[in-house]
Amino acid sequence: MASHSTHELQVKPFEPSSLFKVVILALIAVGVLSFGLGLWLSEERTWTSYLVSFFYFSCLGLGGLFFAAIQHVVKAGWSSSVRRYAEAMTSFIPFILFGGLILLLGAKTLFPWTHEDVINSSSLIKAKTAYLNIPFMATRIVICALGWFAFKWFIVGNSINQDQSGDHNLTLKNVSLSIAFIAFFALSFSFFSVDLLMSLLPTWYSTIFGVYCFAGLFQSTFAVLALMIIFIRRAGLVKGYVTVEHQHDIVKFMKGFTVFWAYIAFSQFMLIWYANIPEETEYYIMRSQNGWLAISFLLLIFRFIVPFLALLPRGLKRNDNHVIAVSVLILVMQYLDIYWMVYPNYNDGMIKFGLQEIGIFMGFLGLFLLGITLFFKKYSLVALKDPRLHEAINHHVTY
Amino acid sequence: MAKLMPGLAAIFTDEHQVLEAARKSRDLGMTKFEAISPYPIHGMEDACGIKRSSIPYVAFVAGMTGLLGALALVWYTSVYDWPINVGGKPPFSLPAFIPIMFELTVLFAALSSVGALFYHCGIPRVDPPTIDPDLTCHKFAIFVPENESGYEAKKLETFYKSLGAESVKKVEAY
Repeated sequence: MASHSTHELQVKPFEPSSLFKVVILALIAVGVLSFGLGLWLSEERTWTSYLVSFFYFSCLGLGGLFFAAIQHVVKAGWSSSVRRYAEAMTSFIPFILFGGLILLLGAKTLFPWTHEDVINSSSLIKAKTAYLNIPFMATRIVICALGWFAFKWFIVGNSINQDQSGDHNLTLKNVSLSIAFIAFFALSFSFFSVDLLMSLLPTWYSTIFGVYCFAGLFQSTFAVLALMIIFIRRAGLVKGYVTVEHQHDIVKFMKGFTVFWAYIAFSQFMLIWYANIPEETEYYIMRSQNGWLAISFLLLIFRFIVPFLALLPRGLKRNDNHVIAVSVLILVMQYLDIYWMVYPNYNDGMIKFGLQEIGIFMGFLGLFLLGITLFFKKYSLVALKDPRLHEAINHHVTY
Repeated sequence: MAKLMPGLAAIFTDEHQVLEAARKSRDLGMTKFEAISPYPIHGMEDACGIKRSSIPYVAFVAGMTGLLGALALVWYTSVYDWPINVGGKPPFSLPAFIPIMFELTVLFAALSSVGALFYHCGIPRVDPPTIDPDLTCHKFAIFVPENESGYEAKKLETFYKSLGAESVKKVEAY
């Protein structure tokens, strides 16, 4: 262990500038406005756009909690200073409950299995009605959202309480809580993605679908973490605790899960392509017609090939501007991926993208930033009394 | 690495002292010395001034070779030499080839990384010279070969003694 930590350590309280506050409020206002206006203009487009953005930010909120939980379970030392950033991301989790309940209002528009004639048209869908019905789906969403909220409350709460008391037992408590959360998350997130995205095409199924959504979730979580590390450092709020070494490791994770996403996406695609069974191939046929083929290839190129090659060299992982560019690319691709899963089911399979999609996304982005801002206004940017913080301060990446 | 050299070894009992000694040796302008430790020491590669090895590049090139080699292999066997109709799919079906291309990429990159590592570390070595058996357990050493620039046994001995070396001894070959 290198004992010479000569660099200065500093954490300043986070004080959002008035411009930042105005931007957040403007984003939320734009979101509410486009949601209201959209419902009046085109109900279907509004709900599909809402679903994509809601799922997108739910993933980021959950990704933050999942990252924090993994660090607790493996008793990681290096990440104890970055963990607070991930914990800030979890401040979106309370919105999942409200957002999910609002989503249920649009269930009749979104989910074809809510219509009698669709159910009667196919014996495949008829056989699934015991699972695919609104009361049961509402129950599942509420259980998922409440469960995630409870785990966030305790895991993040323990970490925050430690800032005051410095009690090491809180770290130990978080280990078992995190194990329970990871088990719960594996199941609940599969249900969540199957319900919200896969059931849009009720005759189709893929057993790897939950993992596919998780792969995108985790990749984009690291992109947000990398952006937070760089911007907080640029603002001069944290010095010494979170360095380029932490950025390097987070970006390594980002590259790793870039490959993981490609691996899972290909696993899903290849088995369906190879077996060539009609009720399975319809999903990919819809995504190879009416211009969707171009978007499918955009995903392959800009969600896997470009970030993978761009993140290979060591020096580039430590280059702020480069990491910002790749992270933004990955976040855009995560949106495109969810959009690609939802939109081919509507508008007669044609590509529709416009102000409605952007407006509602901006609203959710505002909520997400609002959650992070409020979190950091209340709590320290670094878990200063974490028993493993000295490991994070002395962290350095060997080559 | 391959040639054995006589020289001088300073034995330390403290990890921090050997790290400091390595840093000071590099500051003196020495480039050929080696730090010997029973386990990896954080910051040692920096202190010794060791540059990055070529392993990442070897892995990348070997990985690309594996990728393209696998493509050539499946193309020759399944498309060119002996095309078989499988499920009505065209002979050249990239999705079916990707698992093989992926596996050979990983295999080539992994094996050549290990090979490059062995090459850079000069292992395995039959009957390696020993400076002190305790160096595999709880002691550390700085070894300076005789062809090091500014090598002067007397001066180096006092230099390492002043840095806390437990003993400094002559080594016939290392």
